[in-house]
Amino acid sequence: MSTETERGLSHNKSDFDFHGRSLDNIFDEYQDILANGPVGHSNKYGGFWYITKSEDIFNAEQDPDTFAVGPSMLLPAFGTDVPLIPIDIDPPAHADFRKILLPMFTPMNISKLTPGMRETAQQLCQEVLTAGDVVDVSAKLARPMPTIIFSRLAGYPEQDWPIFDRWIDEIIYERTAHPETAYAAGRELNDYFDRLLDEREKAGPGADASNDLITQLLKAEVKGRKLTREELLSYCYLLFLAGLDTTAWAIRSALWYLAGNPQAQQQLREDPDLIPTAAEEFLRTLSPVQAMARTAKKDTVVRGQEIKAGERVVLVFGAGNRDPEVYEEPNDIKIDREDNRHLAFGGGIHRCLGSNLGRAEMVIAMEEFLKAVPHFERANDDEPWHGVGPLTLKIGA
Amino acid sequence: MGELLVDGGRCQGHARCWALAPETFEIDEEGYAHVIPGRENSGDEPNVRKAIRNCPERAILERETNEASEKASEVSAS
Ligand code: SF4
Repeated sequence: MSTETERGLSHNKSDFDFHGRSLDNIFDEYQDILANGPVGHSNKYGGFWYITKSEDIFNAEQDPDTFAVGPSMLLPAFGTDVPLIPIDIDPPAHADFRKILLPMFTPMNISKLTPGMRETAQQLCQEVLTAGDVVDVSAKLARPMPTIIFSRLAGYPEQDWPIFDRWIDEIIYERTAHPETAYAAGRELNDYFDRLLDEREKAGPGADASNDLITQLLKAEVKGRKLTREELLSYCYLLFLAGLDTTAWAIRSALWYLAGNPQAQQQLREDPDLIPTAAEEFLRTLSPVQAMARTAKKDTVVRGQEIKAGERVVLVFGAGNRDPEVYEEPNDIKIDREDNRHLAFGGGIHRCLGSNLGRAEMVIAMEEFLKAVPHFERANDDEPWHGVGPLTLKIGA
Repeated sequence: MGELLVDGGRCQGHARCWALAPETFEIDEEGYAHVIPGRENSGDEPNVRKAIRNCPERAILERETNEASEKASEVSAS
């Protein structure tokens, strides 16, 4: 309490959280915060300031000298205290690390992958169809599709894929309640990549003609030198978590919405050209990344609120994406919304490197699912909009 | 209407412009956007307006050509 009175915050949510079950009702929470106190202080996770207005988030992202990503953009940590490359790296080192993989994620390069993505989506949708009338489409499509697509792109051997979901569950979803579980899984993941890098290095450059991400990282140079093993491990660790989990959530949340909204489902069936526009709206309103952390590098003021150097700051993208000053009827999901400049992939120098890939996977998953699967509804209303847990659908209802 | 340009200092390669108005914007090898040469005057086309309004970095600018001043100003969302 003393913090609140000292800081003179009239409408503060000292228990504001953006993980786990807090997400169940977070959109009401955002609305309240945006209307009554868009900058405030939470005591969770060691304490942080939350920033919720779209404009304030935009400005913070454009100002990495004030809002640094170190020690980590993740709060709480992703099962490791090693800074993850490139998301936890500030300028000037950041640009060199980011440059390594940028060319692989351009829309042109991603479009080369789309035939393979489509084939994978079609196969998975067939499996959904043969699984019966009540199917967990998270387990059958939303999770395996990004795992297959990203693992191929990255160069993770297929026999290893079955263990990936557990690492993601433990590192990303257990970290708030059971940090020790997250750290244990984090060590396993790190060891896994250490072995994989050993194997790939032993095989030598010419041995593998592939152009996967690991090959690119092994070849890459930063300021005229190769990446160290620590840097390689950090990059691999981040790519793994970023490439698999977020897209699974994005696909799952889109299907969750469509399952509860037969009219929208029908509209997209009749007009599949609308799917990319709808995908943007789902990204705005149901995004896998609701918030990311920064650290104030110097004393600063946001919307009249003083923030001191060294304090943690959380940019609540999910709230900014529902800011009534930016969007008409911000809490309505309008699948044909055209003006949709949203914060789902962040912005500024740390803009999600995989945004073009994530978008393509999401659109293709929706296209193929709607093509293959007849009318579907939610079979279990207790399953939340968020996360990558089960999404049980009644198919052909 | 002014001459369209992508502010290279702001563009972060979201490629929304290219997705919405591929006839006006191209993406280079690193993923950054540029106005296709010859398309600098397409700022009034509906797709281009949409791209301007959807660019997350607000990086698509219109340079005033009727004034001596070369000041680039951000295009408002309206
Ligand atoms: S939408 Fe904006 S930030 Fe993205 S590529 Fe185009 S100009 Fe650059």
